[in-house]
Amino acid sequence: MGYLLDPDNWEWVITSNNFEFLLEGFLVNLQIALIALVCSLILGLALALGRLSRNKPFAFLVGLWVDVWRNLPVLLVILYVYLAMPTSWREGYEDAAPEFLPDVLQTGQVFAALLALVLYNSAVLAEIMRAGIQSLDRGQNEAAVALGLTYWQRMRLVILPQGLRRMLPATVSQLITLNKDTTLVYIIAIEEVARRGRILTGFNFFGGVEAPLLQVFIVIGLMFIVTNLALSRLSRRLEIRERERSGTTVEPIAGLEDQVVTAEAR
Amino acid sequence: MSSWIELLTDNFDALASGFWVTCRLVVGSFLLAAVVGALIAALRIAPSKWLQRAGGVYVETFRNIPLLVLLFITYFGLRRAGLPIGTWTAGIAALGLYTAAYVAEVLRSGVFAVSRGQIEAARSLGFDERETLRRIVLPQAVRTVISPLGSITIAMIKNSVIVGGVVALNDLLKESRLIASRTFETEAAFFWAAVGYLLITVAATIAVRRLEQRYAIRR
Repeated sequence: MGYLLDPDNWEWVITSNNFEFLLEGFLVNLQIALIALVCSLILGLALALGRLSRNKPFAFLVGLWVDVWRNLPVLLVILYVYLAMPTSWREGYEDAAPEFLPDVLQTGQVFAALLALVLYNSAVLAEIMRAGIQSLDRGQNEAAVALGLTYWQRMRLVILPQGLRRMLPATVSQLITLNKDTTLVYIIAIEEVARRGRILTGFNFFGGVEAPLLQVFIVIGLMFIVTNLALSRLSRRLEIRERERSGTTVEPIAGLEDQVVTAEAR
Repeated sequence: MSSWIELLTDNFDALASGFWVTCRLVVGSFLLAAVVGALIAALRIAPSKWLQRAGGVYVETFRNIPLLVLLFITYFGLRRAGLPIGTWTAGIAALGLYTAAYVAEVLRSGVFAVSRGQIEAARSLGFDERETLRRIVLPQAVRTVISPLGSITIAMIKNSVIVGGVVALNDLLKESRLIASRTFETEAAFFWAAVGYLLITVAATIAVRRLEQRYAIRR
């Protein structure tokens, strides 16, 4: 306890620009999480619709794809995509990455990380969306058929607006998990917050200050706790609002730890 | 494909030992998570506001911190602080304490899922508070939480990979990475690791489904 609270061990926070250095790294995590979320939402919607397709063999294949990616450990997916990705893809990304992105996000490793996170999260989000769509009353779809709407009209005008609104709280909880998962890209040497924490606690960095590892990682942990607490508050508020409006509860989905908890707590 | 099978037979011992390490890690963390999770859940349903708050702080802290950062704290952090913590201890502590937060939330919600009327009925039949909890509330609570506990266990199995990524424990993924860097057969090595993990998660899924069919109460 003495070691933990010793002011000498906290001096690094105000020394030089150590804290900004970490904060910039944390920003990289948030950016990766956001980009991966947006891409996963789009791909996830396609997968959810594919799984609900009336073409049985096609739906089965999509379901298999979703179940395999959903049940693999994310870290394994990240490492695999990174190691197995052809160099040409990485170089292609480095050339094609938009200029406005920060330098860290223009590296080839980030492409591998994003691809892996999207593969995993799109599968999880596809399940959330499927549950949201299936939780709708059958009558909704039947009434839309009776009105003579085509498949795409039914989806666009009747099913998706209601189904997707129901899955909003679950999506925010998944964003929390995704945000935590972005630290895993540490393992493929992307300079995000965990990697920067390691740099800071390495040898004689920044004018001879070697920051104590325990304290540095407690600070990093606090950054995540603050951000994720705000997100989970948001998720809870959205869920309460949605429950009041539709009178339903969100279905628990395997692989989604946060969702299980919010769905059970009534 | 034949070269993939060859890779499996050639490196079977390494993969099997990694598989065994992962299994032990998962079982150890599960036990720790169950014990700590039950304690925290007890705090959260305790009559005192302060105890409830303490439980809440635990849950919100461990649920919102990335497991990787937690591992850095329990492993490298404590070592640098002069505490000679072992690899197994650090790994099981991080994974177990992290999962315990989720377990606590599920147990708590299980207790709250038992309707008030039942508690009132038990009280009016002359059960005291302790008996009501032990004979009426807990038996039902346990049966409602089987399925969410199963999801958490499966998530924990997947998270165990992160332990091997940070701590010097040769789990299944670590062994397959070593094989991949030795043979340059990345696809095959990772394929067998994935098969190993799917074996554990599928086995856990089936076990949970069995338990559910026998004991679960659907609400």
